Amino acid sequence: MLELKNLYFTIADHEKSGGIRNIIDGINYAFDDGKFYAITGPNGSGKTSLAKLIMGINPVTKGSIVYDGTEISALTITERARAGIAYSFQQPARFKGITFRDLLTIATGIEDEKKLLAILRRVGICPLSFMDKEVDAKLSGGEIKKIELATTIAANPKLAIYDEPDTGIDLWTIGPMVNLLKKELAENKTTTIVVSHNRSFLEAADVVMIINSGRIVYDGNLEGAMPLLEDLSVCTYRNTCEGEQDAGCYR
Amino acid sequence: MLDAIDKTLLKTVADLESLPKGAYNIRKNGKLLSRHVSANINIETNADETGIIVKIKPGTKNESVHIPVILSQAGLYDVVYNTFIIGDDAEVTIVAGCGIHCGTSDPEGHAGIHEFKVGKNARVTYVEKHYASGEGKGRRTLNPTTKVFLAEGAHAEMELTQIAGVDEANRVNEALLGPDSLLLITERVLTDGDQTAVSTNNIVLNGAGSRANMISRSVMKGNSRQTFYATMDARNKCYGHIECDAIIMDNGTNETMPSLKAEHPDAELTHEASIGKIASDQLTKLMSLGLTYDQAVNRIIQGFLK
Repeated sequence: MLELKNLYFTIADHEKSGGIRNIIDGINYAFDDGKFYAITGPNGSGKTSLAKLIMGINPVTKGSIVYDGTEISALTITERARAGIAYSFQQPARFKGITFRDLLTIATGIEDEKKLLAILRRVGICPLSFMDKEVDAKLSGGEIKKIELATTIAANPKLAIYDEPDTGIDLWTIGPMVNLLKKELAENKTTTIVVSHNRSFLEAADVVMIINSGRIVYDGNLEGAMPLLEDLSVCTYRNTCEGEQDAGCYR
Repeated sequence: MLDAIDKTLLKTVADLESLPKGAYNIRKNGKLLSRHVSANINIETNADETGIIVKIKPGTKNESVHIPVILSQAGLYDVVYNTFIIGDDAEVTIVAGCGIHCGTSDPEGHAGIHEFKVGKNARVTYVEKHYASGEGKGRRTLNPTTKVFLAEGAHAEMELTQIAGVDEANRVNEALLGPDSLLLITERVLTDGDQTAVSTNNIVLNGAGSRANMISRSVMKGNSRQTFYATMDARNKCYGHIECDAIIMDNGTNETMPSLKAEHPDAELTHEASIGKIASDQLTKLMSLGLTYDQAVNRIIQGFLK
């Protein structure tokens, strides 16, 4: 359903020799239809960059992205959205004068009150009182993430990408959130990619992928991933660590 | 009585399809076109015949007054002085607005000076829209002034909007707040082409426990220019906030000057101001929901000025 071929995302970096840095460093991977993927890995490893490449938010430097048999790496965000890809942002945009209802209508084209309420019921995590809330700076981090997730699901995507959906979400909502994504997948065959560090998502996934330094270093079940995850959790700066003087981390 | 242009102007500035229910006063090209009073709301021409006096009886509930002005006569500059006296404990909505249709190269303009005396514990909602249209090249000027006096416990909510087509605007809002009164002003101004708009706001928090919130939303398209001044002057224990946001599109320019004066140790005054282009994360979000870039821009501006 989604195939990444020799995919690169490169940025200018004057500290590096050659003046460039590969954030995504030649990824080859095929995602199967209707499966649940959890992408994890250390901070700065390239997880969000990869997710944004798929949605078209980051431009592909080299390589290709094939979605449902079509090369999409030159398509705009809008075209990819209309082709059935949806993206849930780690830090959702905040607006002035745009409500949750407006976002649902934009995502679905539905204005009918009953149908909008049916969507809210289906998604479940947003109370009715959210409907006419402005998606502005007054919302808490958890509230806006619930709205972000609900809007993504409401669009009925074929491929849904969630970037750290649990940030700011209370402990009691994470379980239902995981179940919701699994239900959407079971009922609508939504291929689901979740970028997360949260064990609940890793446990729910059919495939756990670990990204480090812009490359996929593991894909398989959670059990097999555990030794590597424990290793990576020790220190993500070990390659650049220069002892006491310039640790490059905040220890 | 109302021709097609009049009807379009009325619909745009006052959401009126035909003559409104309740009290109204419609002024066309500097003259009274139509008036209706109700049991609780009286409208009369003032002594020097330069405008109207609207009196709302104390205790009036859930009534409205429409006082639109329409201009379609070339070369006319219409100045009107209107006074609103809102009785104690009354609750009323006042819808004003000025629509200009300019079909020639002669300039047309309107200056509405509106004074509100809001009685004790009365609540008034004031909605004012300004709009200009027409294929003529004549310069369209709208210079509205509002002066608000709030008695003890009075609430005033003012929505002031300049929608489109106004070449030059010099907007002035002044308010004097009594004890425990509340003033909410939301001003939205959209300019395009070579239009200019200046908004000057002076709010005096005079009474103990008074509160004021001024929200300004500006959008500058084309080469247009807007200037926003807002001063909150706190003379008692009170709370005041100014929020002014400006979105620049194309080559528009903006100056924003919120100013806070505390003349009392228990005054609490805050402001936030921003000027910039549409935030890219907002555009990206709406495009990821299937809108094109242009649709996303329009939707964001529409919400911002809503």
